[in-house]
Amino acid sequence: MVSGSQGSAVPWLPDLFTWKDGKVYLESARCGSCGTYFFPRYHHQHRPGCKREGVENVLLSREGKLASYTIEYYMPPPPFKTTKDITPYIIGLVEFPEGIQVAGIVIDLPLDKVKIGLRMETTSMVLHQNEKGEDIATWAFRPIENFEKETASIRGGQT
Amino acid sequence: MREVAIIGIGIHPWGKFDDKTFINLGVYAVDQALKDASIGWTEIETISSSILIYGGSAGHISGQYIAGVFGETGIPISNQWNACATGSSTLRTAHLAIASGQVDTALAIGVDMSPKGFLTAKSDNPYQDRDVLRWRMVGMPNPVYWALECRKRMEKYGTTEKDLAQVKVILSRYGANHPDSRFKKVYTLDEVLNSKMVVDPLRLYEICATSDGAVALVLCEANKARQYTSKPVIIAGTAIGSAMYGDPTMRISALSAPAKAEAPLLSESYSASRQAYKMSGIGPEDIQVLELPDNSSWHYLQYLETCGFCGEGEAEKMMWDGDTQIGGRLPVCPSGGFSSFGEAIGAQAVWQVAEVAKQLRGQGANQVPNAKVGMAQTYGLMGNSGTTILKV
Repeated sequence: MVSGSQGSAVPWLPDLFTWKDGKVYLESARCGSCGTYFFPRYHHQHRPGCKREGVENVLLSREGKLASYTIEYYMPPPPFKTTKDITPYIIGLVEFPEGIQVAGIVIDLPLDKVKIGLRMETTSMVLHQNEKGEDIATWAFRPIENFEKETASIRGGQT
Repeated sequence: MREVAIIGIGIHPWGKFDDKTFINLGVYAVDQALKDASIGWTEIETISSSILIYGGSAGHISGQYIAGVFGETGIPISNQWNACATGSSTLRTAHLAIASGQVDTALAIGVDMSPKGFLTAKSDNPYQDRDVLRWRMVGMPNPVYWALECRKRMEKYGTTEKDLAQVKVILSRYGANHPDSRFKKVYTLDEVLNSKMVVDPLRLYEICATSDGAVALVLCEANKARQYTSKPVIIAGTAIGSAMYGDPTMRISALSAPAKAEAPLLSESYSASRQAYKMSGIGPEDIQVLELPDNSSWHYLQYLETCGFCGEGEAEKMMWDGDTQIGGRLPVCPSGGFSSFGEAIGAQAVWQVAEVAKQLRGQGANQVPNAKVGMAQTYGLMGNSGTTILKV
């Protein structure tokens, strides 16, 4: 079982997601000139002609809806790295109120219950442990509605 | 701008050639193209070559490797890199060199070999390489992106698994009959529907493989073309396109996209095709044979709409009506497509143009009767694309 992660887990790469009040948020940035939200926050994609002024780091809303999904049946090769084979697993595209859709692994959702339109929230999951024994994590999404976790492809813990 | 013609075509059959080098493949294709054009090596005034990509990272400057074999002559050689649409840049550069009047002859070369399995990240710096992010944090091979878009299409237009499988059925019939293709098996609908699920809803036979292959085209100023060949093919328009702000497509390598569409899906391909239509004065209604980038079954359906061959959500009907097959309104990928050849990233866009050119010469492996106007459309990572329209 691939577990969800506590605040003690270490993001595999920085500047992508963070914990606040025990909850997980995606780190975005918003342009003060064109209003576009970016993810990751450091890859800017402004509206043509934008003055590109006043780009501020912001956290995306925690909740969104599932805009699309796929179920991956083959373990991706390195540099993807998990402690165990987690296939088949769901990759979802979640649309946030800020007008941006973000891809991420979906946990706590049985394969036969996945459908476009589900309300989702941002969470995190442990991918593997590093040489120091620390949990190395990525962001993930899970449905707000509780499904039977025993049948989910990847089960999360607490966040 | 002067008119430019294709006067020579050389193709190395596609497959996996572990005992060969990309130089072997490229030299073979160039040799064939020179012979086909009855032109001497020393008459070539410039070379535009696709850089050897080998699975994602820009690598060897293939033009120099290949030119050395034939004998270096000091001519301009440029090596292009634009991901899966690399060959479109290659052809455009060769075309511009002649159209501008700088040279009268040019060689466009596309050659590549592919590593086994999925194409992956080649660096470890996420701040300047999005591939690092998508691989490490989500585990997203290219077909995941196609599956996400395909699932959206199913939701929006009711595309079925049977529709997706039928694409392979059609293409496999053409590929089986093509001497240069890698995959020769003809598939039934049941066989495709029973193939392994890879990235739901896309199955194994609905996603193209990666291959080795090479192709070369000899181009020449159109007025001189008949000195070399009785079957010149005119490049009516060739353009490359980039993406537009507000395109909701999840582009390969990205982790996000706008939720609200302010530009068309696959806007880089919309852009390239519209530029080529304008440049050539030829519209989608005039195209008689089309090679499109069938990286997956989703692409086959979506590109018919993106390039304006039918309205949104109408591609499935167009396919089932037989319009996309030989004998129909718009034969699509009579070569068998990437489905039968596989992707050889640096080579495939030039190869698509070569296949259309052969059709217009009446030399297609699966010939479209009386084809006089054709189009080759490509698709590349991170929003880049190319369109070439040919006529005789």
